[in-house]
Amino acid sequence: MPTQTIVREYEAELEVAEARVAADDVVALTLRHPDGADLPPWTPGAHIDVILGEDQLVRQYSLCGSPADQGQWRVGVLKAPDSRGGSVAVHELCPGARVRVRGPRNHFPFVASKSYLFVAGGIGITPLLPMIAEAEAAGAQWRLVYGGRSRASMAFVDELESYGDRVTLMPQDEAGLPDLPGLLGEPLADTLVYTCGPTGLLDAMETNCSAWPTGSLHLERFSAREADTTGDTPFELVLQQSGLTLTVPADKSIFEVCKEAGVSVVGSCLEGVCGTCETEIVEGEGDHRDSVLNEDEQEANETMMICVSRCRGDRLTLDL
Amino acid sequence: MTENFPRSYPRNAWYALATSDEVGREPLGTRAVDQPVVLWRTTAGTVVALADRDAHVPYPLSLGRLDGDKIVSGYSGFAYDASGACVRVPTQEQVPYGASVPSYVAREEGGLVWVWLGETSLAGLRPPVAVPWLTDPAWETFGGHWETRANVVMLHENFADITHVAVVDPVISPPVLSAGAAPPLEIELTETTVSFTRDWPAAPMPAWQAGAIGASPTEAHPQREQGAFLSPGLWADRWDFLVPDGPQTFRFTHAVTPVDAGLTRHFWRVSRNFAPGAETTAAFRPIFEAYYLKVREVLETMQRVVHQDGPGRNVNVAADRVVLQVGKIMRRLVADEG
Repeated sequence: MPTQTIVREYEAELEVAEARVAADDVVALTLRHPDGADLPPWTPGAHIDVILGEDQLVRQYSLCGSPADQGQWRVGVLKAPDSRGGSVAVHELCPGARVRVRGPRNHFPFVASKSYLFVAGGIGITPLLPMIAEAEAAGAQWRLVYGGRSRASMAFVDELESYGDRVTLMPQDEAGLPDLPGLLGEPLADTLVYTCGPTGLLDAMETNCSAWPTGSLHLERFSAREADTTGDTPFELVLQQSGLTLTVPADKSIFEVCKEAGVSVVGSCLEGVCGTCETEIVEGEGDHRDSVLNEDEQEANETMMICVSRCRGDRLTLDL
Repeated sequence: MTENFPRSYPRNAWYALATSDEVGREPLGTRAVDQPVVLWRTTAGTVVALADRDAHVPYPLSLGRLDGDKIVSGYSGFAYDASGACVRVPTQEQVPYGASVPSYVAREEGGLVWVWLGETSLAGLRPPVAVPWLTDPAWETFGGHWETRANVVMLHENFADITHVAVVDPVISPPVLSAGAAPPLEIELTETTVSFTRDWPAAPMPAWQAGAIGASPTEAHPQREQGAFLSPGLWADRWDFLVPDGPQTFRFTHAVTPVDAGLTRHFWRVSRNFAPGAETTAAFRPIFEAYYLKVREVLETMQRVVHQDGPGRNVNVAADRVVLQVGKIMRRLVADEG
């Protein structure tokens, strides 16, 4: 009984209930279903796609409200000088406006621990806010170091005030940059480090956490790592579930080739950041070019992001 | 398909532990996610869930008795209130410091008692799934519950792919499932849920359904099959017969609770919005019960095979996407617990 399988994520047109200026160049949007229906459940670290404007630009934003609140989703958006214009379009949304969303998905899950160190840079505070709320509710030990250009540019500082001295605000124009070697030089026992922010911060966090036990550092990237695509070669792609063998040419991604072959795949950012297209590797060595998996995960070669990653050898078998 | 992890289910989830009817003014001892739990009601009727173990001696509180809004150990005489705090000990005026038993957040919905046995602070941050149809008068519901000697993941995999229905029980199976080419299987993903839909072309309803409700056994109607994995403890499925007067719908609710890695408690409920009345229920019940019992037997067999000969590496087809996604979600939720 042949069955075509079509996979997609939850998608809906939501209404902007509130659009609040949360800081210089940051708007906090609260989204609700126009029918008043509950939205899908989520856990801290989750993000959604917001699809904007006539060009149908897709941008990922972390959910920064409370998972207990099923009727609405909140995201914080930084208006970035962005040649594709996505965040500008978000800043033009007013209450009552409709916006298409997809998801949620989560590649930055919040793992239980007795103790946490949160390090946020700029708009990177957004995924950490619901994590902090849960750490606090669970009675865990935790600390937040929150850096930004200036106090006026840092969003949600008001919400963090109630946590008192567990939060260290470091506006760069007042306090300089956080002293990461000082903060992370000595690995702390039983402590997980959660961080989000600009690429420079994340790269520095990875460097400074290299002596920590594997799995201590959790981070999520908002922008893709540069990949060197010169010297890409074609390879054979075997799709185990579908029983298909395809060729991936040098100038097409696995994702594109699968779609063209009529295989139902999900993807979103298409630049190896959001994790939506993560697929299990059955055989073959992946050439990982994503910004989702850490070094250990890439070496374990269990999954790959098929929108950007390729194959080291001639043949790759995926569980698709 | 199943990999037998030592613990393949999260503690952080709402699980149905008992029916509301089972919990009263007699303590009820049970087990779920490898923990002993005692359920009872206060004089006001509120359900209480505590660890089923006296803080003073390794004796189940469920073997004790209630005294007003306290539960009294049947061996030591220590008395605990609904918060788990020890409030009276026989041999001294003062209660010793630290004398308490863990208490769990419990709630009732749909005629079932749901308990959060994981991190207590998360109970308020992970909204339970609403199951209003189980008590909505517009739906007539019957069902049962039992324990299946299989890991909960086996049950999830069973609900995630109903290809087996036509194979296991051709009688219960809507004729359309065996008719030939199937319509596309549409799968919708969110972070922690998976749901699927198939819109079937017009076909007759099963003979037993037509017979019981006095409908034509040959008249064909479009049908819609839906299934949803809504949490590690809950599936909500439905089958619609799109008749001209408005859909005749069955809703199938499965609350599945891991007792331990080899045992699952399964509460099944069949709800319908058509042909109300005890007579039709009496006609439908044995058909569904027989089918679910057959499934139980198959799952117990598969669990024995895995136990004896190992999990093996099973070949997947594209339509297994639901099964695989459910497995992914379950493993991730377990990993989150550190």
